[in-house]
Amino acid sequence: MKPNILDTHLLYKNYGPSVALDGVSLGIEAGDAVAIMGASGSGKTTLLHCLAGIIRPDGGHVDFATAQGPLRVSSLSESRRSQLRRESFGFVFQQGLLIPELTAIENVAIALMLTGAPRPAAEQSAAAWLAAMGLQGLEARRIGELSGGQAQRVAIARAQVTGASVIFADEPTGALDSATSNEVMDVLLDSTVRSSKTLVLVTHDQSVADQCRRIIQLRDGRIVSDSDTATADANRPDQASLTGRTQ
Amino acid sequence: MSSVVVPETRQRSTATVPFRLLWLLSRPGTSSRAVSVLPVVAFGVVTALMLGVLGGARSFWSWDDELSGIYRVLSGIAVALLVVPLLSVGGSAARLSARRRDDRLSTLRLLGATPAVVSTMTVVESTLLALAGALLGVIGYLAMMPALGLIQFRGEPLGIGSLWLGVPAIAAVVVAVVVLAAVSAALGLRKVVVSPLGVRTRQAAPKTHWVRIVVGLAVIGAVSLSMGMLSAAPGMAVVTGILLGGSAAALAVLNVVGPFVISVTARRQVRKASTPQRLMAARSVLESPKAAWRQVSGVAMTSFVAVFGGTGVAIADAAGSGASRGSSEYFLMGDIRTGVLITVLASFLMVAASAGINQAAAVLDRTDLYVNLDRLGMPESVMNAARIRSVMSPLLLVGIGSALCAAVVVFPLTGIAILVAPLSVLVIGASLAAGIVLVWLALMVTTPVLRRVLAGASAPSSSAAQ
Ligand SMILES: Nc1ncnc2c1ncn2[C@@H]1O[C@H](COP(=O)(O)OP(=O)(O)O)[C@@H](O)[C@H]1O
Ligand SMILES: [Mg+2]
Repeated sequence: MKPNILDTHLLYKNYGPSVALDGVSLGIEAGDAVAIMGASGSGKTTLLHCLAGIIRPDGGHVDFATAQGPLRVSSLSESRRSQLRRESFGFVFQQGLLIPELTAIENVAIALMLTGAPRPAAEQSAAAWLAAMGLQGLEARRIGELSGGQAQRVAIARAQVTGASVIFADEPTGALDSATSNEVMDVLLDSTVRSSKTLVLVTHDQSVADQCRRIIQLRDGRIVSDSDTATADANRPDQASLTGRTQ
Repeated sequence: MSSVVVPETRQRSTATVPFRLLWLLSRPGTSSRAVSVLPVVAFGVVTALMLGVLGGARSFWSWDDELSGIYRVLSGIAVALLVVPLLSVGGSAARLSARRRDDRLSTLRLLGATPAVVSTMTVVESTLLALAGALLGVIGYLAMMPALGLIQFRGEPLGIGSLWLGVPAIAAVVVAVVVLAAVSAALGLRKVVVSPLGVRTRQAAPKTHWVRIVVGLAVIGAVSLSMGMLSAAPGMAVVTGILLGGSAAALAVLNVVGPFVISVTARRQVRKASTPQRLMAARSVLESPKAAWRQVSGVAMTSFVAVFGGTGVAIADAAGSGASRGSSEYFLMGDIRTGVLITVLASFLMVAASAGINQAAAVLDRTDLYVNLDRLGMPESVMNAARIRSVMSPLLLVGIGSALCAAVVVFPLTGIAILVAPLSVLVIGASLAAGIVLVWLALMVTTPVLRRVLAGASAPSSSAAQ
């Protein structure tokens, strides 16, 4: 059993009258791949946003394990959470939402430049990550010139390039057809779990969730089930990380 | 926005649909408040400026002596110069409304509205906003009159009375502003309807041919040469004629060369950019150099005219110091300088209004992207710096570039001017700088729009889920 990289305790979140999270307590092991499932409106995105410090819960707290000890994400200021997100976390959303006027490589490099890296070094890392995503030769393309699957892979590269220890993905394949979706999931899993990074993945799709080691089901803002999957053994974090693609 | 009214909407005749939908959807939301306030303010500024300048111009028309002809021509030029920025404010406001249209498109589709209905609705809406702004502008004009009345021409204050345009003329200006708004909304919308994402999804950045710059330089050179012969030209009228012709030619050249220079500069900035904000700003200029040019071309004209007019005045000032104190020739040059300053200021105010609106629209256009970048941990300050830089950088380029261009064209005269009348030249330079600061302020004013967009993403009032 590895230590938890993220811990939540009794998270509550309301949006006016609607209850988005209703007492969620959850620990996520370092290097694990966790799928969050549930009907639309069950609170998946809200949970992900609380975990990642995008929003603050109304009640409860979120702790992130750092080398210097646990960091209470839920009580950090807006700017400290912003810094945490750009330095320690990576994000992939349903729509890549890449900056349309930048090229693929610039979109990736900018994530690193935001942490203070000089541009040449940032572009070098970005190029390596794009190549790892199978996008060699497309570095100078603008986002409009990429397919949906390619754009998502650029987004994955952007999430990874800073060496984030946790990758958050909210329905990353939700807008893709199933073949493309499989490719993108492969790349995502390959670059996270098999490199001992932690993946928290929100999805509707059972077959996508099945590729993770652990599945959490939400209903009305509560965890209704929490189980290991069949692929658990194959993806067990302590047996993986052979590719060791570190950044 | 509710869709409860569907059955009722379908039963009525279609002719009034746009108006009823407009009414239905006009409830204020978080973003729509900025969307309607900004155009109203902008049209208000435009109308007030237009009325003020026309009032001043009108007071010249009441004079009749040997120089009144020159005053009339010059005031006509000043008014004409203000029409370009006026049009661009209209276009910006229309774009902001178009943004609002996109917001509502899904709701409208649910209500069974056709694209034509949606377009009509948007045009009606921008027209109404323009009307509200124009009426505010009339109030602003009335409020400004005492201050404007203090401006001196021919050694005397204009006086409130001579600035009063009369009700029919004021009504005509209001109607003109509203019609302009309607037309530019319709034109602007047609572009949006053809391609909702036109600018963003275009595959390759447009190229501008280098031939343009060669032709441009040649024309500027030719004009400059003819200016060289100017000093020998006899008579005020000929000098004025050559100056006007030369500036018209040079302005035409600027229009051709401007987008090219902007794109070349932006390309270089993309290569050199060392921070995220610089890179984003340069890329966004490069995305559409023509749009960047359109945004700041009003400034190009103005700074060109400022240098031209300012230099002319400086020369004549020095040369004409022989004119007897108190004669009408004695005042003419000072008055032209005053006129140039007023025109520069008014034009910058309009460019500022239009830049402010455009930036607000751009932020709203990209709500999803900004929210997402915020989630990734991009600081708001970086996003803000990028978008402000993307206007300021072409603005500085164009403002300073066209001023230099004008200086080259009138080089034989400028050289002397700087020697004999450094003060006039300084004043013109200072007014250009003030104008640039004004535009920057207008951009800063749109920062809360970005802040609200980012805050709205996690607030209960924004659209639910995801
Ligand atoms: N910004 C918001 N404003 C109002 N309600 C929201 C907001 N975000 C989420 N909700 C509500 O919270 C509940 C959970 O939403 P969400 O976490 O997005 O669910 P999921 O991602 O599972 O579809 C839903 O009822 C949703 O309507
Ligand atoms: Mg969701």
